[in-house]
Parts: sequence; C-alpha cells; structure tokens
Amino acid sequence: MTSAPTTITSVAAAANHLASRRSPLRWVLLAVGLLAALSLPWLVYPPLAMDIAAWALFAIALDLLLGFTGLLSFGHAAFWGGSAYVTGLVAINVGVPFPVAILVGALFAMLLAVPIGFLSVRSSGIYFAMVTLAFAQMLYFFANQWRDVTGGENGLQGIPRNFFGIELIETDPFYFYYAGLPIVLLGMWAAWRIIHSPFGKVLVAIRDNPARASALGYDVQRYKVMAFVMSAGLAGTAGGLFSISHGFASLQELNWTTSGKVVLITVLGGIGTLWGGTIGAALVVMLEDWLATSGFEGIGIITGTVFVIVVLAFRRGIWGTVRDLKARFRSRT
Amino acid sequence: MRHKTTTAAAAALSGALLLAACGQAGPTAQTGEDELTDGKVVLGVLNDQSGVYKDLSGPNSVEAVKMAVEDYKAEYGDDAVATEIEVITADHQNKPEVANTKAQEMYDRNKADAIFDVPASSAALAVATQAKENKKLYFNIGAATTELTGAQCNKYTFHYAYDTYMLANGTGKTVTEQGGTNWSIIYPDYAFGQDMTKSFTTAIEGSGGAVVEAIPTPFPNDNFATFLTKAAASNPDVIGSMQAGGDLINFVKQYNEAGLRDQGIELAVGLMFITDINSLGVDQFAGTTFTEAWYWNYDDENREWADRFMEITGTRPSFAHAANYSAAKQYLDAVQRAGTDDADAIVSELQGYKVNDVFLRNGEFRAEDNRVVHDAYLAKVKDEASVSEDWDYEEILATIDASEAFRPVEDSIAAGCNLGS
Amino acid sequence: MNEILQYTVQGLAAGSFYALAALGLAVIFGVLGVVNFAHGACYMLGAVVSALLLQNFGLGFWPALVVVPLIMFVFGILLERLLVRFLVALDPLYNFLLTFGLSLVLVDLIKRQYGVSGLPYTRPEILSGQVTVGDVRLPTFQLFVFAFSLVVCVLVWLLLTKTRIGMIVRASTERPELTRALGVDVGRWVTPVFGFGIALAGLAGVLAAPFRAITADMGSNFVIILFAVVVIGGLGSVLGAVVAGFLVGLVEAFGQAYAPTFAQVVIFVVMALVILVKPSGLFGREESR
Repeated sequence: MTSAPTTITSVAAAANHLASRRSPLRWVLLAVGLLAALSLPWLVYPPLAMDIAAWALFAIALDLLLGFTGLLSFGHAAFWGGSAYVTGLVAINVGVPFPVAILVGALFAMLLAVPIGFLSVRSSGIYFAMVTLAFAQMLYFFANQWRDVTGGENGLQGIPRNFFGIELIETDPFYFYYAGLPIVLLGMWAAWRIIHSPFGKVLVAIRDNPARASALGYDVQRYKVMAFVMSAGLAGTAGGLFSISHGFASLQELNWTTSGKVVLITVLGGIGTLWGGTIGAALVVMLEDWLATSGFEGIGIITGTVFVIVVLAFRRGIWGTVRDLKARFRSRT
Repeated sequence: MRHKTTTAAAAALSGALLLAACGQAGPTAQTGEDELTDGKVVLGVLNDQSGVYKDLSGPNSVEAVKMAVEDYKAEYGDDAVATEIEVITADHQNKPEVANTKAQEMYDRNKADAIFDVPASSAALAVATQAKENKKLYFNIGAATTELTGAQCNKYTFHYAYDTYMLANGTGKTVTEQGGTNWSIIYPDYAFGQDMTKSFTTAIEGSGGAVVEAIPTPFPNDNFATFLTKAAASNPDVIGSMQAGGDLINFVKQYNEAGLRDQGIELAVGLMFITDINSLGVDQFAGTTFTEAWYWNYDDENREWADRFMEITGTRPSFAHAANYSAAKQYLDAVQRAGTDDADAIVSELQGYKVNDVFLRNGEFRAEDNRVVHDAYLAKVKDEASVSEDWDYEEILATIDASEAFRPVEDSIAAGCNLGS
Repeated sequence: MNEILQYTVQGLAAGSFYALAALGLAVIFGVLGVVNFAHGACYMLGAVVSALLLQNFGLGFWPALVVVPLIMFVFGILLERLLVRFLVALDPLYNFLLTFGLSLVLVDLIKRQYGVSGLPYTRPEILSGQVTVGDVRLPTFQLFVFAFSLVVCVLVWLLLTKTRIGMIVRASTERPELTRALGVDVGRWVTPVFGFGIALAGLAGVLAAPFRAITADMGSNFVIILFAVVVIGGLGSVLGAVVAGFLVGLVEAFGQAYAPTFAQVVIFVVMALVILVKPSGLFGREESR
C-alpha cells in the first residue's frame, strides 16, 4: 500500500477518481464484461450463473450506498428478501410475466426503504450499520410469524417463471439466464447512471464532507434517504430475480447473514468501484459452491479468513487493487 | 433493441453448442447395461454437513448410504442389476437455495437417480419440486414437514422416517393415556412448532386429555424462564416442549433450574435426537418422554447394525442414519426387482410395497401419499444410574404400530395430496 | 402480583447477560471507537471454554468465573495486538468489518472442532434449587446471576471513576477529542482495555454455561440484541450500556409474558422509538454518535 487510505470514503474517493479518467480501455473493459456475462452459463452451471448475476447486482446496489454515499448498511437483506417474497407472491397469485413481478418486488423494497431510511439516516457511521441491521432483523421476525402469507419456516414454495409461455425460458435454467440477464444489466446501468448524474455528484459531496454539502444548501438527510431508497430498489430487483430463478423464497433471504454476505462481496470486490461487486459475487458464489462438495466443514473459516485478509491488506478490494497497480504502472512509464 | 437481438442470437448459439456437447458426452449404450440409465446408478446424499443438522445426520449419513451399497453388492453379487453404483454428496450448508441448486445439479449434471436426506423443511420442499420436475426420486429423511405428504406431495418424493404428525401423535396419545391428562405446550412460533402443537392437541384431546395452555415463543430463543413460569401457573401434569436443537437444550436446562419436576410437572418433548441427549448429558434429560423413529439398542438386529456403523464412524447411529441406510437399500432392492433404474418403474415397484428391514418394522410404502410407514416407539430417557454403556440412554416404553403411528391416508388427501395429478 | 415479581427477577437475570456484555462493548468502543462484531462469538467462547475446562480438567463453575475471563483477557490482547490495532487509525467501519469476518471464523472453528449439538455442563449444586419468597419460588441461579453481574458492574464503575486508569478510560470514552487534546496518552491503555472488554463478554459466557445451550451459534443472535442494547443506551456511555442491558432484559421478560411471540420484535420497536426521539441513545450525547 503506497498511500494508506484512512477512511472508507477516501478509499472510495480514490476509486472514483480513477474511474472518472477517460480511456479507450473503458470500452475494452465493457466489451469484456458483456462477453463474460453472456458466456457465464457456458462456463458455470446455469442456475449458479444466475446467482452470480443477482448477487453482483445486489453488491452494486450496496456499493451505491457504501462507496458513493458513505453509509454502511448491514440490513440490506430486508430489501433483497422483502422483494423476494413480494415478487414470489405476485408471480404465484397474479401470474404475470416474471419481469413484471420483479418490478413490483423492487417497488415494494423502495417503499419499505422509505421509513427505514428515514429513521436510519438520523445516525451515521457504525450506528447506521447497527440500526439497519436491527430493522432487517425485525422484518425477519415478521416474515417468520406471518406464515399464511410467507410460508414461514417452510418458505414460499412453487414460484412460477412465467414468461409469455415460452417454454424453454420457463423450464430450462440455461435459457432463463438470458431472460434474466437484461434485468441485471439494466439495474447495473441504472446504478452507473445514478452515480454519474448531478444527483450522484451531490451524494459524493455529502460523503466527503457532509458539513460543506449542508452549507451549500443541500438537504443532506433527504439526499441520504433518496440514495437509500434507490439502493433498496436495485437490491430488490436482484432479490426478486433470485427468488424467480430458484422458484422459492425462504427466510434465509431475510437473515442477517445475507446482509453480511453482500457486504463481504462488496468489500472483496472493492468499495466505491461499482463494478467490483461482479468480481466479488463470482468469487464468493463459486467458493460456496465449491465448498459444498469439497468435504470441508466450516465455510465461515475460509470466507471469514479471506475477508479478514482483504480488510487488513487489500482495502481497495480486488477491482481497486488491480486498478491501482495499473495506474501506478502507467505513471511509471 | 439491438442488444436484445444479440442476446437472443447468443442464446440460440449457446443452446446449439450445448446440445452438441451433450450429444458427444452422452453415454453410448452398451450391451447388457441398457437397463440402467447412463450405465450406472448414482445416489446423491444432500444434507447439512456443517450446520445444526451435522451431528444427527450429516457426513455419517453418507457413510450409512455407502453401507447400503456394500450390502447390496454383497447380497446380489454377480446377479446385481446395478453393476456400477456411485455415491455423491453435497453440503447444503442449511441454505435452501444451495440445496435447490445442488439438487438440480445432481439430477441434471451428475445423473443422480435418487437423492437422500435433505434436512430443513424449506430445503426439502425445494428439492421435492426438483424431483418432480426432473422426474427422479427423492427420499426425504431429514425434514419433518407433513407438507411433503400433503399439499406438496408428488409421485417421485417419498417421506421416510419421521414427521410432525408422527412425533406428536406418539407422545401426545401415549403420555395422555398413561395419566398425563393436563398439558401446557410451549412451542416455537414457526411452521414446525405450530404444526407440532396442532397435532399434539388433536392427539391429546383424542385420548381424553386437555391442553390447558399453548404458549408461543420466539425462535431462536435462549431465555425460557418466563414461559416456564406461565406454563407452570396453570398446574399441568405435563409440559410439552416443541423446541428443537439448541433451543431444546436451553429449554431443558431452564426447566431443570426452575425445579418443575419436583413440583410434579413432567416434561415431554416433541422432537429429540439421541445426539441431543449425548451433548447435554443424560442427567439433564432423565425422565423425559418423546417419540423415537428408531433406537439403536432396541433389539439384536438394530444393535448388530449399530456395531457395524460404529466401526466405520466411531459413533452410535441416530434414527436418521439408520433411515438413510434403509432408504438407500430399499431403493437398490427396488432396482433389482424392477431390473432397471427407470424412475417411473421404481416408483410403481415401491408404491404399495411392504417390507421389514433394520429400520422399517412393519414397513409399507403407502401408494396414496408416498408416506413410508413403520413402527414408532415411545421412549423415555434413562436415569444416569441405569445407563450401562455410552449412548445407552433410552428406554422404550411402548411400540406404536405402523398403522397408527402416522397420519392416516384420508388426512393426507384432505390436506391436498393427489399423486394422480 | 407474584407473577410480576417472577417476571422482574427473570428479566433482570436475562438482562445481566446483556449488561455485562454491553459493558464490554462500550469500553472497547470508548477507547478504540470500534464496535466489536465478534462480541457474540467471545460470549460463546467464554461458555465453550468453561465447558472444556470442566470436561478436561474438572475445573468447575466457581474457578471458571475467574479463570475464563483471564483466558479471554489474553485472547483479547492477542486480537488487539495481531489484528485490530492495524486498523485503529482508519475508519472504525473497517474494524467492524474485520471483527465480522473474525466472528465467522471463530464460530465455524468451534463447530468444526466440537460439533454442533453443544457441550454438556453440570450446574453447581448450591445454585440448583429455588428460593421461596412468600409463596413465590425463584430459581437461585437467576438471583445469583443478577446479583453477581450487578456486583461486577458496580466494581467496574468504581474502577472507572475512582482510579486513575479508570479516569483516563472514561474520559477517552466520553470525551475522546478533549482527552487527547489534554495530552493524555490514551494509546498505552488501548490493549488492556480491549482485553478487558473481551473478558467481560467471556464472563457473560461463563454465567450462561450452566443455564443455556453451549453451542457455536449461541452468540449469533445474542450479538444482534446486544447492538440494540447499545443503541438504546448510547454507544459512548458506560452507564447507558448497563442500564439499557437490564432494561432490555425486562422488556424481553414482560414481552414474553404478555406478547410472547413478539418479545424480540418489541426490543427493536423500543430501539426505533429511541432513535426517533433521541438518536444518540438514552445516555449518549449528541457529538458522540
């Protein structure tokens, strides 16, 4: 580490700075990324490919908040899981094509984020993390209790993948991936648009210096709530897609371990890099899958150790570290 | 728009490639083995090998299934239909989505003919759906939900071992008949606890008893003091605890601490595994009654099998281990009888089949709801003084006949099970 | 009336665990600005270590009350020296994340080593009975847990207010900037205080051993409620942690008595109300949030 960043925001700021530099490489990267996204179900088992895509979008949603607004939410499972249930319920009871169901789920997540966001942004830093965690836990208890609707511990089973009666997509996970991918890409594009909009610039200004942003006349709390709601909407999109892909929604989706997992993915990929989440998601999902058949007992030992090492030594995450090295290499030549 | 067409083209292209790849990699039918799909029988054990179900089933259930394979080979030798048998396994980490993906992968990619175990209801129901869609067999052992033989039953899913009805019926009925007429029930307020309480209440009232109080608790929960006070306030003969796993241990420790047994309030437990008794120590549980699906030290046949199991694993089997063994063995025997591992042929071979083995006493694979019924046992935890060796924790008070131990067929059908559709 | 007495004792007993552990969380936060996510795992380790000492060395409950916190103290010092200190200069969120990763490792290590069904523990005979007050029977152990943790909390309070070390720790807890500005060397107290905080979590674990299931997961839910406790009490406040700990215990007991299913949700509702009315917590000051 050449210049040790002292805060999450400074890591993010460094990452943002590099990101804003225009270079022809951007287009190469974009092409490589799209190619990777398109070829993923050939490389890994298709349902797993869909998992990676959904977690990647979830991580990007979290990074919108963590990397670009400076708020660490430890309760994002509320939006992922809340939308997973609502999406499932809509798909089961209304029978609309699945993208419509996901849209409803995402809207629900945003609606849910309004009161939670309103209460949570009254605190910041570590407090914010704990408060969001507690709210997510509340939602978990409600989903567990409300068995008539959610199925409780048994989960909400039998969620259909309606897609205009196209059987290949509805039954074969390989083709379903290509129906689901545009939703993920759309979500990612939206995240990218948000951070490059004037609104996104305000968020970054708030993150770097809330007092100054406030002095400039921006309603800091309101901006934070809006960022929170948008992040929740994207997280909800990812969660809805996840439940459609698996055909059920379970309490696991609302558990705090899910919030922990997405933080892990985001930090691993790189805070404030936006795209780092894709790498983080691919790694974590593949690692969990591999560990399932490896015969090794104690997944947390491995994921936890990796996480500790990343936090101690590679705070820029994988994406950030690689970009850092590249930048250094370039400045030398 | 242009992007969409690219995606579609890519999808079509990839599909074509995949088909080509499958065609190449697919098995070429060999003479003499064409009665087996893919040329071999693949058994998948999918369970929790790192979480709360690890000790009571987990890796040792894989060993139990391997024992069944050995026994099958030894029994049929050169006449065996299943010439090549492979046992594969995966740890679902107690996460339903991992169970779902792994089950799909086992059926679809690893050519598994049958999946065994899968604890946790949400995971089991997801795997049952996969079995139905892939038209391959699933023998549930680890999950207790009666949904599997109710609204969500299907042709390819058999429910082995225990379920909430069987646990509640055995204990509720027998204890009430033996004089414990007034019950206070304390249950975790989620699907399992609610189902248990409902079944317990039916069983108790059907035997002339009464549930004076049913108290829901949060789940998970580590503090039961207040609930115990409330339950004891109505002066019941028996407190029924529907807690499981770590919560059950919390409960029993605090029941002992509150000194309720000295006040003449007995403890009956909805679900208990021998591994629970082993971990908490027999003195904490002494006198507790519960329903067992199988007990290793019940008779010589069980004991002999348990000795073999112990040689391999170094521990005594829970009923889940024995059930995994039995399910795998019954599946392989069905392959032998049918002369094929074709799933539909196996299902029609198994449905209505009556059998006795080390786990299944008076066993029957019920054709109407795919419930595998067998004798169950009412057990009581021994006093520390009467324990003669390690794991010798249980005294069998009564045998509950297979015909009465499980939910009647009419109730399964009333709950929405229709295998015909 | 009898029930009210019983529920109160039960609530205070349950609150004892929260108060002790939250006190540890608060002092660590005080000197380091770090919220220790692994606090639940340390509570679990306290119980597991007690069970192992009993199993392997026949060391019972009473010596464990002294020995286990000492072991956890050393463990805490190692944690601070080997991991936490490298991130202290950075955003405290990094240490929050670090300890989150650490708790995953600790929980799964214990699971891998000692299984998931839990470890046995024998209750000390003298605490097994009940005390009868009027016609109310109260378990001796509950009364003991409450009395013991109250004594510990008072002792810690005296330590913090009557000794020089305590003054420094408390000053840096409650007025970190000012303390540093006055030239007090807070740094040399960081390691022992971290160890002390971990020891308190371990002590709560020892108290839980005869009373609760000793499993690798026992701290996972506990730590979440602990967070609610410190949010209610105010993170920067030592007194707040203790008071909120007992308060949450009482809320839990009465919640269980009158709205059983929602007992845990009630805690979070209380937390939401506190945030709404006083975001810095009941005993926290505005600038310390």
